[in-house]
Amino acid sequence: MEFVSPEGLRLDGRRPMEMRQIRAEIGAVSKADGSALFEMGNTKVLAAVYGPREVQNRSQQMSNQALVRCEYTMANFSTGDRMRKPKGDRRSTEISLVIRQTMEECILTHLMPRSQIDIFVQVLQADGGTRSACINAATLALADAGIPMRDIVTSCSAGYLNSTPLLDLNYVEDSAGGPDVTVGFLPKLDKVTLLQMDSKLPVDIFENVMQLAIEGCKAVANYIREVMLESTKKLEYCRGA
Amino acid sequence: MKGLSVGEKLFIEGGIAQDLRTDGRRRLTYRPISVETDVISQANGSARVRMGGTEVIATVKAELGRPNAMQPDKGKVSIFVDCSPTAEPTFEGRGGEELATELSVSLERCLLGGKSGAGAGIDLSSLIVVEGKLCWDLYIEGLVVSSDGNLLDALGAAIKAALSNTGIPKVNVSAEASANEQPEVDVSDEEFLQFDTSGVPVIVTLTKVGRHYIVDATLEEESQMSSAISISVNRHCHVCGLTKRGGAGVDPSVILDMISVGKHVSEQLLNKLDSEIAAAEADEEE
Repeated sequence: MEFVSPEGLRLDGRRPMEMRQIRAEIGAVSKADGSALFEMGNTKVLAAVYGPREVQNRSQQMSNQALVRCEYTMANFSTGDRMRKPKGDRRSTEISLVIRQTMEECILTHLMPRSQIDIFVQVLQADGGTRSACINAATLALADAGIPMRDIVTSCSAGYLNSTPLLDLNYVEDSAGGPDVTVGFLPKLDKVTLLQMDSKLPVDIFENVMQLAIEGCKAVANYIREVMLESTKKLEYCRGA
Repeated sequence: MKGLSVGEKLFIEGGIAQDLRTDGRRRLTYRPISVETDVISQANGSARVRMGGTEVIATVKAELGRPNAMQPDKGKVSIFVDCSPTAEPTFEGRGGEELATELSVSLERCLLGGKSGAGAGIDLSSLIVVEGKLCWDLYIEGLVVSSDGNLLDALGAAIKAALSNTGIPKVNVSAEASANEQPEVDVSDEEFLQFDTSGVPVIVTLTKVGRHYIVDATLEEESQMSSAISISVNRHCHVCGLTKRGGAGVDPSVILDMISVGKHVSEQLLNKLDSEIAAAEADEEE
């Protein structure tokens, strides 16, 4: 199948280095301590953060750092065909773990000993790149909850199809069988915290693809900063400062 | 639900007794409702409904299936509700399942009528494509995104909005197949049929706190309830379904009184909802 036309356009009309439209909204769940909605094209993810609060399960309490927990759930209607999957399947568990590890790394957990932070991500629509969208949404929700962080983590994926590196794969491109590189990136510290790839790729091409994904992360980070700044301004205005 | 102090409990109860609730509403006033349609593009129809801090999403998906042998001239509709842990940390894992099942069953009872499909808000015979062979199966899925009480009313409203947003693809049955063969069909992706949703009821939950009852209770108020009655009422003021929750017994005369009040409230809710749905759909067309 042809994923990049001779004119250099992808199936959804994007250029190879072009990202889907991203949109973020802070404060989507009023009851949560922090929440955010993040959209990458048709992928739509909601994240809610509860905490820092008392540890629910005493045996998990840690005296030197906060406990970070994460749960990833997909709505039944999020995919193209209807599915009723039992909760806690392997894919969800794996993604929960990935998100937890990534977020735990950037939260200053040592500042909140004997407490617990819960991150819940809910996929409303899945169209490829849910992992990245979840991490971006979780970052925004954590920031909204006012949880101290080293830096914001942003994530973006890139792939390699028809001998062209492609940024931000959608579902059709993702399921084409080519490599899919997901990168989590700390833009200020200039460090990669998450790197996943399936399928195989020559090393020199991998370098290009990863670089492309990092560029994507930086673009997401700029947008996320804008959104956070706007929300902070709104808060300041509400306070009457 | 987080614990309330004795003072807070008295404040809530006292406010309800004086017809001035903690958020300034009267006993029979709803919180502002906002409706947004077509929020999930993969579904045939969808809607998001916000009532104060409560937020739910409902989607409708239509699939071609075989009608039940007992009812060859009717389609099938089923309702599933899911409680997302984003709404409440206790819904994590399987924690939300109990509430989700309770809500799905109540919704089915209130909206779908009896087993035979009689009295259903959705005209099941309009879902039939070829009698006895092919029909549309409607899968209605609700998702609780944020919970601040009165989930059932919000889900009912969201389902109503999602159904009026639903377009069922037009099906052309190509050749007449023989009696026991499945007919060949051509599902159009351009022409859609709209539903007649005027018969879909709204659900009004009356929550009894102390000696009085209130509509659209918040989570704090719900924690003080002795019992609650959910009534689904359609446009012709007919009661379509009824569920009583909560352990405390209620005098039959009080129940009848609650039903008549519920009917009165449902009229206002129905009008409000219809205008919100119309506004949401007009918004979407722009």
